[in-house]
Amino acid sequence: MQSIRAALRPRAALLLAAGALLLVAGPSQAQLRLDITQGVRDAVPIAVVPFGGQAEGAATDVAAVIANDLRMSGRFAPLERRDLASRPTSGAEIRYEDWRLLRSDFIVVGRVEPDGSGLAVSFELHNVRTGASLLAQRLPSSERGLRATAHRIAELVFERLTGIPGAFSTRIAYVAVDGRPPAQRYRLVVADADGYNPRTILESREPIMSPAWSPDGQNLAYVSFEGKTSAIYVQRLASGERRRVSARSGINGAPAWSPDGRRLALTLSRDGNLDLYTLELATQTLTRVTNDDAIDTEPEWSKDGRSLYFTSDRAGNAQVYRVALDAGRTAERVTFTNAYNARPRLSPDGKELAIVTLDRGGYRIGVMELATRNLRVLTDARQDESPSFAPNGAMVIYATRDKGRGSLAIVSADGSFQQRLSSDQGDVRDPAWQPFPPRG
Amino acid sequence: MPGFLQEHLRPLAGSAGLHLALLVVLAGVALRWTSSQPPVELAIEGYVVDAPPAVSRPIAQQRSTPPVTEPPPAAEQVKPPEPVKEPAPERRAEEAAAAERAAQADRERREAAERATRERDARLAQEKAAVEARRAEEAEAKRKQAAEDAARRKAQADEAKRKADEQAQAQREAKARSEREAELQRALAAEEDAAAVARSGVMDEYRALLVQTIERNWMRPPSARAGLQCTLYVSQAPGGTVTDVRLGPCNGDQAVRESITTAVYRASPLPAPRDPRAFERRLEIVFKPTE
Repeated sequence: MQSIRAALRPRAALLLAAGALLLVAGPSQAQLRLDITQGVRDAVPIAVVPFGGQAEGAATDVAAVIANDLRMSGRFAPLERRDLASRPTSGAEIRYEDWRLLRSDFIVVGRVEPDGSGLAVSFELHNVRTGASLLAQRLPSSERGLRATAHRIAELVFERLTGIPGAFSTRIAYVAVDGRPPAQRYRLVVADADGYNPRTILESREPIMSPAWSPDGQNLAYVSFEGKTSAIYVQRLASGERRRVSARSGINGAPAWSPDGRRLALTLSRDGNLDLYTLELATQTLTRVTNDDAIDTEPEWSKDGRSLYFTSDRAGNAQVYRVALDAGRTAERVTFTNAYNARPRLSPDGKELAIVTLDRGGYRIGVMELATRNLRVLTDARQDESPSFAPNGAMVIYATRDKGRGSLAIVSADGSFQQRLSSDQGDVRDPAWQPFPPRG
Repeated sequence: MPGFLQEHLRPLAGSAGLHLALLVVLAGVALRWTSSQPPVELAIEGYVVDAPPAVSRPIAQQRSTPPVTEPPPAAEQVKPPEPVKEPAPERRAEEAAAAERAAQADRERREAAERATRERDARLAQEKAAVEARRAEEAEAKRKQAAEDAARRKAQADEAKRKADEQAQAQREAKARSEREAELQRALAAEEDAAAVARSGVMDEYRALLVQTIERNWMRPPSARAGLQCTLYVSQAPGGTVTDVRLGPCNGDQAVRESITTAVYRASPLPAPRDPRAFERRLEIVFKPTE
């Protein structure tokens, strides 16, 4: 007995210890642990149900505008309208099972109602998988403002589901060219980010180039050859008022606004070849930044406003450099990956540059992370140019050529989604995305 | 038979009488003899006097022992000393002196007899006391013995009870131990089972299957970058239907939380393992993108 007990004891103790361990480690021990390190970039399926209070074929189909914004972002795949299971207009009417069967993850419902002399739009966002209500708001609107209200709703939904602000209420500027040489017509156009509501703010028989938004989104600087030679103009959108800020001999090109909006960086050839200058708008004070035999052009301000990124062929072919605005600083090269890198545009967070890069035989849009110099190529066409970040940094708009005709396209900043903006406006080029309006 | 008795009665009676006479003489001698002996032997005399069965003993002895005609050698020694010493009276004075002496002797005899009686009484009393003492001792011893016996019995009973209790306790302990053992063995077996499943690769396969399914269903928002770490505690029904998703520690934003919860629900029903033993009701799913 004693010997058996003695013999048992160590094993029993061991077992007890094991039992104690089991107890201590309890919850995690009883569970199967999974590590998820990747996801898909697939578009999130979402149903945007036609809003109540709107007749079929209404001038502004709120749900259609929202669905299109979400689709254009590349991050969402709105359900086709003909596939909608039912047409709830409030959260209480949603039967989640139906939408799960349609493999929708989220659903947007709402209605347009008269509100005093105007309108109000109520909407709700629900998670079909969990049944949770994620958003429910009522926005004042009007017949004319219905489209803007729809963009705003799309922004709210986008932000709630992606974690980044939507940019559907912002606008884009671009240059449209109609006709064939020598009878061409150039137009400077400002439109909603989805391409709707195009408005021509300048029309000319001479080339218009390089529109650039002021930091407050209220002014556009651009190059116009309307006087047969190049000159830089600044035009106030609201009033249409404009003024010529640089018409020096030779080339006046590539204007870029400083972060504080008080200066322009530009390219001038008045001293022989193309070099970079800054121009104090209020005082017309011109400061030379580079002095090199090569071509220095396409300046872009750093986020702190103390240096410029630009394109130069000083190394033989085009590369992006950076130069500090303090006197006597020499430019340092920024891009190394490909044989051609040009037209730098800074991301809203100041951490990345969108560039045109010669990649596997094609001029494509790339985004280079400044800290690591990692370059990711976002597009795969042969003649992409003029990238410009959306103000939320999530997308890049750029110009591409399709059968000899220029058009605009949007690519997500990670390259996973591309979408051509349809345009019936002939040859379209030089897009620039409006910054967010200043807060407060 | 009566003839035999009549024929032999006389020699028999003679023999018995002789024996009796002899016994009396012997007793007398012994009495005198024993006066100088220790009092303890007096008890033997008592036996002889008081014991009539002694008569039958010689009868029984007669058949195997030699004839009674042979006088015992002790008889010759038994001679009363007084007749030998006493001179024959010749004169009155002598007679008076003799009478005086006789009276003196008588007195002495009486005194001796009285002394002997006293001594005997004393001895008897002593003996009686001794007997009583012995009896008391014996009684005491008996009581002691009884007490000891009782104590021993009690001790034995106690011991038995203790042993029984001990045994019961040991049995209980053994039972508890064996139950514990069995339980742990079951746990071990389950663990071993799990280990066997794990060894077979089924577990890894199941885990990989689940990971793959969830990753395919995770519409990763742009805010889900490297450095993100969010834990979900998920319960699934045996068919793989997700029954509960609870958010654990998470450093992600609202969009991330929404996306991971949605991913698990949209992956429902989760795939089943190849070996049902690998099925685990509760899952701890950690979302931590590598880039």
